[in-house]
Amino acid sequence: MRKVEHIVYGDRKVFTVSAFNRGIGMHLGRLPPVWVEGEVTELRRNDAWANVFLTLKDPKTGACLSVTIARRTFDRLALELVEGETVHVAGRAEIYELKGELGLRASTIERLGLGDHLVALERLKRSLAAEGLFAPERKRRLPRVPRAVGILTGVDAAARGDLVATIRARFPATTLVVREARVQGKGAARAIVAALAELTAREDVDVVVLARGGGSFEDLLPFSDETVVRAVASSRVPVVSAVGHEQDTPLCDLAADARAATPTAAGALVVPDLRELELALDATRRRLDLALRSQVERARSRLARQGERLRAAPRLILERRRAALDRSGARLQTLSPLATLGRGYAIVRAGGDVLRAAGDTRPGDLIDVQLAAGSLDATVREVHAK
Amino acid sequence: MSEQRSFEDLQRELDEIVTRLERGDVPVDDAIALFKRGEELYKECVARLQGAELQIEELVPRDPAT
Repeated sequence: MRKVEHIVYGDRKVFTVSAFNRGIGMHLGRLPPVWVEGEVTELRRNDAWANVFLTLKDPKTGACLSVTIARRTFDRLALELVEGETVHVAGRAEIYELKGELGLRASTIERLGLGDHLVALERLKRSLAAEGLFAPERKRRLPRVPRAVGILTGVDAAARGDLVATIRARFPATTLVVREARVQGKGAARAIVAALAELTAREDVDVVVLARGGGSFEDLLPFSDETVVRAVASSRVPVVSAVGHEQDTPLCDLAADARAATPTAAGALVVPDLRELELALDATRRRLDLALRSQVERARSRLARQGERLRAAPRLILERRRAALDRSGARLQTLSPLATLGRGYAIVRAGGDVLRAAGDTRPGDLIDVQLAAGSLDATVREVHAK
Repeated sequence: MSEQRSFEDLQRELDEIVTRLERGDVPVDDAIALFKRGEELYKECVARLQGAELQIEELVPRDPAT
């Protein structure tokens, strides 16, 4: 903005009229935007003009305020205002420099009488709720990794840019199918229903996002239209509603499978984070490797055990036989007469025959006594026959 | 491997294979076959993620008034 200059006459600072007007205008420009209510009078619109002019009148006192609004903004609102209607105008105070007239530079205009809309909306909401259209059990799980994401958006909408940027950053391995539609004003409900049908007709579209930025209550009304709400509820694929701002709750929000406060939040809902997905995949692969390795390890050690048992088998048989033989030998030992001699018995022979009775000998007979160690040649002195 | 199958589908099959292998009751020959299949699935999944450029298609309204 140009500097407001003054002229100096001695010790007096003097402003030109236009400098004064400009200075006041700069001060006004620092005031916050406000809503002003009044009746529409003197509405002037011309295709050749950049702005639309109207005068707001206070019905009680007759006080007037000049309002200026950009013609494109005014046309987009499609209000079809008639004189005498009560409206709310949002804008900032400004001064028309050439005339020094105070006015309001409007950013939007809303028709009053929203009361009727609200009542109708509440009635529709209740009847659809009674039908079970908003029931939590109707909500479907969003696909974790959609093949394609359908995006239903207004023409040149900022919401679309945010959504596309979020998805590109998180998960570029997908396809966005964008269908622009008239999302406000006359015919918007029909356009939204048609666009949704065309998007869900695509076989690869696994989820659809309704991306519509903030707007006035009236701007968002199509998203509460019964046909739109029903289309959302009966959509072939899950629908994420990112319509309006946090405080707005168009009925399509209630019928959708998920709701996002912003297009960015919607982006995070419909696609996974690529890096997280890659990490998860790597972890799965490590498990795969480990599982096979331990499986093979188990098989190998089982084989090793079997091998050992196989090699051990002949030795085992031998050992068993040897043990049996040892037992036989021991038994044989106990039965041997030599072993008996060891315990102190003796074998007595006479003339080569084993003596069993004392009466078989006579005094003077030569006998042979075999001991465990060595033998004796002896002579019988006396016989005690029984 | 079919291009028609979704990433989620492939990943689910991979997870099932890992779970089966981890239970350890699969005969070794089958385990090796399962492992090979798992490797294929892993590679396919990674290939789908890597170097992918976001594709954007505009749908032209069938009825210009919408």
